[in-house]
Amino acid sequence: MSVARPAARRLFVSGCAAAAAAASPSPICRQIPIRPAFAAATKTSFHTSSSLEARKRSRFSSVHARDLGLINDQGEFNEQELQKFTEQKMGPVKFSPEEMEELSKIYTPEQIAAIEAGDAAINPRDLTIQGRLRDDPYVLPYLDDFAEHQPIIDKRPQRNPPPDPHAKFMDLDEFTEDLIKWADKFRVGEVTGTMKRLVDFVPEEYQSVAEGQWPGEVRDEAHKQFKAYLQQTVERQAKDKLDGQEGAGITDADVLQYILERSIMTDDGLKSNSSLAPALPRKVPGVAGLYARSVDPADEGLDPLGIYQDVKKRTGLTVQQMLDLRTKRLVHRFVSNQTRLGKIQSSSVIYVAGNGNGMLGIGMAKSTEPVIATNKARLMAIRNLQPIRRYENRTIYGNVKGKVSGTVVELSARPPGFGLRVQHRIFEICRAGGIHDLSARVPRSRNPMNTVKATWEALCNQKDPEEIAVGRGKKLVDVRKVYYGGSVY
Amino acid sequence: MPMHSITNACAHLQNATRARLGLTSLPNTKYVLRLALAMHRAGLISSVTRGGPTPPPPEALLTTETEPVTTANVANRRLWIGLKYWNNQPVMSKLQPVSKPSRRVTATIPELAKVARGFRAGHLLGLNVGELMFISTDKGVLEIREALEKKSGGLVLCRVS
Repeated sequence: MSVARPAARRLFVSGCAAAAAAASPSPICRQIPIRPAFAAATKTSFHTSSSLEARKRSRFSSVHARDLGLINDQGEFNEQELQKFTEQKMGPVKFSPEEMEELSKIYTPEQIAAIEAGDAAINPRDLTIQGRLRDDPYVLPYLDDFAEHQPIIDKRPQRNPPPDPHAKFMDLDEFTEDLIKWADKFRVGEVTGTMKRLVDFVPEEYQSVAEGQWPGEVRDEAHKQFKAYLQQTVERQAKDKLDGQEGAGITDADVLQYILERSIMTDDGLKSNSSLAPALPRKVPGVAGLYARSVDPADEGLDPLGIYQDVKKRTGLTVQQMLDLRTKRLVHRFVSNQTRLGKIQSSSVIYVAGNGNGMLGIGMAKSTEPVIATNKARLMAIRNLQPIRRYENRTIYGNVKGKVSGTVVELSARPPGFGLRVQHRIFEICRAGGIHDLSARVPRSRNPMNTVKATWEALCNQKDPEEIAVGRGKKLVDVRKVYYGGSVY
Repeated sequence: MPMHSITNACAHLQNATRARLGLTSLPNTKYVLRLALAMHRAGLISSVTRGGPTPPPPEALLTTETEPVTTANVANRRLWIGLKYWNNQPVMSKLQPVSKPSRRVTATIPELAKVARGFRAGHLLGLNVGELMFISTDKGVLEIREALEKKSGGLVLCRVS
């Protein structure tokens, strides 16, 4: 609710008076909906024929300034008539003393002064000459004086101050104090200690000493007065009870109101703008800091979101090492779960991770969100890192075969410099794992997911020549490392 | 020479290792015995003992014969083969006959040399890591590397890995 509204109200009310004599100016705010024809004039038509609204004729004939006598036939202002009209129709609104009193309930004296200054700033003659109803495209669809709150259009007024951020639930002492404070509102006397005591009836110099040390006449006088006071109180209470008047005690309604409406916070019964309880503060005392994500200084700030912390604990890798790994998305599928509520689409992602030097991992994850599935799969791949067997750190041991479902992957060791003559998914796996010479055949099904799984299986199922030799009780020598002084590359 | 006993022996040994048996028996023929001894030289099996229809006692496995072969017991003699396992895996997991009664496969020395180095020679695929091939030559049943050492080719019996 702004201070400027009464001025605006006056402007509109006066303008309306000029436009339609039937609408008499009133201090009570009103709104006058605009006729459809008025609004339709600003619309762009997409039809060749004129719209129905445009063909309608106005219910009121236009009142021309010439007919009002404000201008003469030559189009010049008729100053005399103009002045008369201005004084009659456009003059400042005169508030009656009752209206002023009503206004002073809403506005402070400074605001009322500002309103009056605003009224005085507008020249009534300008209103007569220039004031008109808006017909621009941005016109509001109704005339509004902004003085009244309209629930559909306006935001809800915030009548109460915002909740106290330092309010907390009352402890036992505070609750007792609050209860006494509430009970004190009811003039019962006995319960809350508001009754006068015997000490209150002795002169001030004896009030701090015990009763036994009072002089006899003072004590008698005090007792007499106190007795009279008690008698009077009892009589008053009896009378109140008979009359059923206020102060006759706490009624059930009071108790119910106490239970339902009394604030249990130390905010002094502050009323909220919302019927909902105020939200917890951002930093709840006693809880703040307990759930903060602990940042490991060893991470060197590389993992501010904490996405690597779990994998770090599981694998023992540092964040820097994890960031240095080669990762690559190999497969992205859209899978769906058919439920009675319909198909639930998910993304299924397979990732490969490796350090390019013998460590390799494959991770698969599903999620309804592709990004989440990708991140999960990547972390799973890092978690699943394990060493793969490599011959001379460049190729595999012999020919291995992996089979998953109908997909068979045949990997073959190849001499140095052969390169990776394999399909792209196997290529990425080899690159991540640090295999440089390899050929592969996928003779049967080439399903992407199964190709990756079968390759992983083949790489993990390489036989160790040393183990074979031990099993057969033979000694094994790699002659490539014997001839030419071992320099075979 | 009866090929079927060799192919049957291959099939039986493969079944026995997959069943994780410690001891199994083969028919007592000269051909099977030579193959078994070649496998023993290659370290694929732990023992070859000629015994009766029941398994010989464990101490008898260290000998070649539990009792002398006579005309009375020769008909029920069997070759008892001790199978080997390492790291919970059979040392000999796959036995694949190459020659079969209907189709004998022979290989010359150059062919065997290629196969031993892992290259293909005709219809013979190259050997993989840890793979063995047994050849029946005029110097007895030999492993492919022994045959190359002795420069003799012959009938390719089976490949074992």
